[in-house]
Amino acid sequence: MSTAESGRARRWLILAGVAGALAVLAAFPLAVTDPAATSIAVFTLVFMVSTAAWNIFSGYSGYLALGHAVFFGSGGYAVALAARDWHFKGGWDVFALLPFGGLVAAAIAVPIGVIALRTRRHTFVVVTIAIFFIFQLAAFNLSFTGGTSGIELPIAPFPVATYNNPFYYVGLVILVMTIAMSWAVRRSRFGLQLLAIRDDEARARGLGVKTGRIKLAAFVLSAFPIGMVGGLYFYFLGQIFPQFAYDPLFDISLALMAFLGGIGTLVGPVLGAAVLEALQQYLTQSVSGSGTYLIVYGVLFLAVILLLPRGVVPTLTELVKSRRARAADSSTIEEPRDQAVRSVAGAIR
Amino acid sequence: MSGLLEVTEVSKSFGGVRALTACHIDVAKGSIHGLIGPNGSGKTTLFNVITGYERIQQGEVRFDGIEITNAPPDQVFGLGIGRTFQLTRIFSRLTVLENMLVATQRREGWLRGLLHRAGSSSEKHRATELLEFVGIARLANEPAGNLSFGQRKLLELASLLVADPDVLLLDEPAGGVNPTLITHLADRINELNKAGKTFLVVEHNMEFVMSLCHEVTVLSQGRPLVSGAPDEVRANPAVLDAYLGGEDDAATQLELVSEDPARRPRAPVAPSRTVSLIQPRAKLGGPEPLLSVRGVSAGYGGGDILKEVTFDVPEGEITCIVGPNGAGKSTLLATISGLLRPRQGEIRFGGRVISGLAPREILARGIAHVPQVHSLFNEMTVRENVEMGAFTVDDRALVAQRLGTVGELYPIVRERADEKAGSLSGGQQRLVEFARSLMLDPTMIVLDEPSMGLDPQTRRIVFDMIELMNRQGKTILLVEQNARAGLRLSSRGVVLENGIVRLLGTGREVLEHPEIGALYLGGTVSTGGAPSAVG
Amino acid sequence: MSFTSLLQAVIDGILTGGVYALMAAGLTLIFGVMNIINIAQGVMVVLGAYLSYALSVHLGIGLLPGLLLTVPAMFVLGVAIEFVFMRRLRESDRTGMSILVTFAVAIVIEGILTEIFGVDYVQLHAAYVDKSVYVFGFYLPYIYLIGFGLAVVLLIALYWLLYRTKFGRAVRASLQNRTAADLIGINVDRTRTISVGIGVAVTAVGGMVFGATNAFNPGSGYDLISRLLAIVILGGMGSIGGAMAAAVFMLVINDVVAVAWSPTWAPLVFFAALVIVLSFRPQGLFGSAAARAQ
Repeated sequence: MSTAESGRARRWLILAGVAGALAVLAAFPLAVTDPAATSIAVFTLVFMVSTAAWNIFSGYSGYLALGHAVFFGSGGYAVALAARDWHFKGGWDVFALLPFGGLVAAAIAVPIGVIALRTRRHTFVVVTIAIFFIFQLAAFNLSFTGGTSGIELPIAPFPVATYNNPFYYVGLVILVMTIAMSWAVRRSRFGLQLLAIRDDEARARGLGVKTGRIKLAAFVLSAFPIGMVGGLYFYFLGQIFPQFAYDPLFDISLALMAFLGGIGTLVGPVLGAAVLEALQQYLTQSVSGSGTYLIVYGVLFLAVILLLPRGVVPTLTELVKSRRARAADSSTIEEPRDQAVRSVAGAIR
Repeated sequence: MSGLLEVTEVSKSFGGVRALTACHIDVAKGSIHGLIGPNGSGKTTLFNVITGYERIQQGEVRFDGIEITNAPPDQVFGLGIGRTFQLTRIFSRLTVLENMLVATQRREGWLRGLLHRAGSSSEKHRATELLEFVGIARLANEPAGNLSFGQRKLLELASLLVADPDVLLLDEPAGGVNPTLITHLADRINELNKAGKTFLVVEHNMEFVMSLCHEVTVLSQGRPLVSGAPDEVRANPAVLDAYLGGEDDAATQLELVSEDPARRPRAPVAPSRTVSLIQPRAKLGGPEPLLSVRGVSAGYGGGDILKEVTFDVPEGEITCIVGPNGAGKSTLLATISGLLRPRQGEIRFGGRVISGLAPREILARGIAHVPQVHSLFNEMTVRENVEMGAFTVDDRALVAQRLGTVGELYPIVRERADEKAGSLSGGQQRLVEFARSLMLDPTMIVLDEPSMGLDPQTRRIVFDMIELMNRQGKTILLVEQNARAGLRLSSRGVVLENGIVRLLGTGREVLEHPEIGALYLGGTVSTGGAPSAVG
Repeated sequence: MSFTSLLQAVIDGILTGGVYALMAAGLTLIFGVMNIINIAQGVMVVLGAYLSYALSVHLGIGLLPGLLLTVPAMFVLGVAIEFVFMRRLRESDRTGMSILVTFAVAIVIEGILTEIFGVDYVQLHAAYVDKSVYVFGFYLPYIYLIGFGLAVVLLIALYWLLYRTKFGRAVRASLQNRTAADLIGINVDRTRTISVGIGVAVTAVGGMVFGATNAFNPGSGYDLISRLLAIVILGGMGSIGGAMAAAVFMLVINDVVAVAWSPTWAPLVFFAALVIVLSFRPQGLFGSAAARAQ
């Protein structure tokens, strides 16, 4: 039948596209050797991972979490402290600490999630913000975080010309992993239940969905990649300070990027992050005042929220779909075939 | 013999209102059990209690002998009891097939749920079969939000079947649905019943209930009134009473928990001369109707609730709109007072068009509206609430004068002037709402179910007050669930059903019309005649 | 840590609590009337502080007289924001979206302030700012007293507005029952707009006092909004009385902790208290049960 054929063809097309994109991304640092460009690329990858991970929770469940910088910073601190206290020399070995950063973030996510998820959606947002500020305050004042002077990470002995590349590739690997996770969640039973919670949480409960557990699981899951990539980010920078580790702009950026690309879709947030982070970096380097940067950011955000609330990807998909002719009239009801009725009656007995 | 699903001695209150009082119901295994009763009788609350959406302190729910009182919704579903909702709920952003897969029960932890695909091929196969069973299989990949109203109902039902529940609680499955689909639904329910499923069905469509159900329980004011075979129930005069409103409902007192009997409102004093605050521009004095509604169609976005409604409200009289549940009575009042803009048609008041105006402007033309749902400002005192009725008037002296006049008509305004409105009983609040509506001396007063939820004594007072306001020259447009009392009071009657005007005439004509029983209970009332065949 | 210093801390807490009460009242008023959480309230306080700063430094207008200009200016800002942004939000997901929108507005305001004033910390100065009155062994800094006095005056004015004027009745009615308010002839739209204006206008006063008692820069808004949010949620969203009580309560605890334990950890108290209370009572101390999760 033609639908199965076209379905298969579609699948090959997507696979080819993904392979192609991966190839391009893998080849990027080899082709573009300008360290400024690869540096921007590393930052972009960090945000792509973060947004995709954030989307796994907020996008699929509909609960807007605005405190995920907690996981970013905590992952960063975990890696920094481990590298220092366990005497890592720097180089590829520090990358092995990244999963540790992810685990620390995930561990922190458990109590935070338990507390925050008791409240309704809009109070939830505020609670995540409050918890974020607790962490920020702690980072500034606790001695073991080094306070305002932060912590230094070991310098990797990579050759100067291609210094950024290892970070880029590690970031790319984490991105692939995160997108794969997002994809797996989306097509899994777990993901379906999350989406059901987003649409109608009360009814989902009535259909047997254990909403509390599912939400918590998604929350913890979303923390892991962010913790990892937080470690990567600060390793790249060489130092971690509390104001960068716990930056409210990070929180709002994730939301903005996800909204721009299409919150709740699979690739939307990643695309949104790619576009926006590149834009962000360009702005920081070309615009003199940090004030203008903020203004542009804020205005952009307002424009996206008010004019394109569903994001680019869903809007484009809608356009494509409405081009195709609608299928048969949807107002009549098919007469059930007797065969089907009998077999179902048998199945129910 | 105890049934598969047993509810005993369940009571549930919301604030001062008792939704269920010592309610009990016994659903026999393998039966189709109907649950009927007038608006506000507690049917949906009972469903909510059984399925864990509402918690109870008193009473017991048993399923197959095991107590499940206050079990959370997901657990109740896991045990084998599924329910649909009065306002059909589906997951609109998921596809139809995905909707089906959500309810698939698997014995696995969430971790494995993460790794496994949303639907194995056998699960999808089963889901597709069920979709075919209800007749929407070809829509399997459509986003559920695109489905029509009737298709959503089928989806809601089908998604329950995925988990193969033993008991299905259906809340108004035939509500707002076309006759072909009703037949289709009834057939499906019968099929499932023959396969061993037990049903508890809440419905207002009496044809549907009486022809489908083996046993019917009538709930009235939170209590079971009668239970038995459909024909018995139909022939029982108390049942029609419950729907149309009896004279003296001694057996069905709704106790308002916070009411203090010592402070019942007394009969009003003879009214003194009233002071007009606004020039009554709308008095015509001629044969023209005061309010004319012509071809009005209106809805809230999902399709029209009112379909080309046309009727008149004569000046100086009481006109009563009655009709079964979901007929569109409140929607009609909303279009008249400007809360809803009619999609089509025209409404004239005093000869001038008012359809499409804002509520403020319609108020200024002389129409006051007392909505169905509680509309007092809880935190303000009774006096402040009544004064708010004259909000648009700046002259404080005039307002005070008006307050005095209104207070003579409604002593409660004087007696409890400084108490917070929220502390009054339901009946007392109603009277304060009436008082408030009089503050601008309107030409016409629109009342939406003024007696709902009130005990018989207060109801009598409410109707007395309505009559009194009319005698003072106010035109009254009334929606009443208590059709008998409402129509007896009125000189004009309008019967609305499914958004269409079915009967028009004087109050008495409408009340004594043979069809009115049929409209409310399906089939003829007096002889409990043979139900018409379905399908 | 003596009893005197503890009592001093309590007094300080009450005095500063009054000002926070005013700002929090504005925030909760906006929520109650519009179902919108104004994340920009914090940066608006900073904006108010900068306005007072600009007036005093560049035009030589004193702090108190300057309020006659800054308060109406902030009122206009509030009205403009309601009109341009808040009105566009649909009723269904209004609150969630409002957080994002007001967050963005906050960022824009912060950006504008950074461009104009830079990131250096400044503070408002007036002759009386650094002086104190010495009463019964306790120091009562003038500026705190003035701030508290202003806050009390304004809160009384707010009370008078809400309970003694026609407009106030309209606001309370819209808060308590929107449909009924519509049916009595209240212009709900206009009531909402003016309420938001008032909610923002109070930040001008808060800004003046805040700016006189703290060094600030454009980034100071975050700390403020987090405190205000904590206060409003604890007091119950939409409850002005609750916000006032919570403000004084929180500030007293903050100051006591600062003295008894450590000044750096004092702010932690806000958030910790918030998290603890919400764990047991998701609707806040004075909120209705509707805020609970299902």
